[in-house]
Amino acid sequence: MTVRHFTEADIPIRTELLRENKYQTNLNDFAMSADDRALADGMRRTIAEQHHSKRLFTMCGAKGQVVGFSWITSIDWRSQACELSFAVLPRYRSGFGFKAVEAAHEYLREQLHMDVIINQVLSHNTMMLSAAELEANAQVRAEFDSYTVGQWRTACYWTVTRDEVRDRKQRELARRQEIAERVRAGVQELS
Amino acid sequence: MTEILRLDVEAAVSELRASGDSARGFLGLDPVTQNDSLLAAELQAVAAQLFSAGEALVGFAPNTDQPRQAYVASTSADPEPLRALLEFLTTYQRCTTFVAVVPADAEGGKAFEACGFERAGVLPQHRWQNYDWQDVLVYVGRADSCRS
Repeated sequence: MTVRHFTEADIPIRTELLRENKYQTNLNDFAMSADDRALADGMRRTIAEQHHSKRLFTMCGAKGQVVGFSWITSIDWRSQACELSFAVLPRYRSGFGFKAVEAAHEYLREQLHMDVIINQVLSHNTMMLSAAELEANAQVRAEFDSYTVGQWRTACYWTVTRDEVRDRKQRELARRQEIAERVRAGVQELS
Repeated sequence: MTEILRLDVEAAVSELRASGDSARGFLGLDPVTQNDSLLAAELQAVAAQLFSAGEALVGFAPNTDQPRQAYVASTSADPEPLRALLEFLTTYQRCTTFVAVVPADAEGGKAFEACGFERAGVLPQHRWQNYDWQDVLVYVGRADSCRS
């Protein structure tokens, strides 16, 4: 999974995604009240002018195919904080969601030097995290946070700090190392 | 003598993007953290001009406070493209001195040393890249000693 800058060529794919049912329920439904040109103009403005407050990225799979998008808003460069959002294309949702989140977190910290990343997930949205995980993560629960597709939604907010990401990365590396050693030991026994 | 070919802003941005890691820190730009529009805006803001020289990309931005001086950059460790740029700047911009601000492990740094630039100083832990602070080297060159 790789992260690259969002380009004009990605606009039609993202426009289609903005109109998708699950996207609207889980993130926002403004695309229903805007025509394609208005949506494209908004994205073009983000590409060309709004670098300081907002950035859009395209998440790509191993073959370079577009898997989804991530974007950061409310960027506070001085405090190294931002809010991160995601949307994965429907056909990639089962396999790529978690990897996309990891890749985006990595890029934001490794290259953009963000320190605190704020996550917001509406409480009914269990596409990437289960209801129990959401409950455990949520540092703040905001009722009546957003009104999407005809209903008020409760949002869970939490921050992830650098130390947490480093710990998680080290745990993951250790786990892979262990698996690799077990495989190697197995191969030696066979030979 | 290596030929250098002047690029318009759009071509310059796409060459920077294609140069990968060696373009990181080029005239203070970074294709990893900046999208094409932002790279173009930054190039225009400092009135930078970029040139292709075979596989390499070289460029300069005038020092507006000292019109006989230019900030210079290269994506390659090969000194020849850089020499061609210095020749151009001396001939057509009447530059007498050059300054390069180069990330410590950047390819371009070797070209400055090979061309006779002096390392004037180090900006310790000046840049953030790949999860770490990075030193940045400041090189200074003179037109009379660096061109040949």
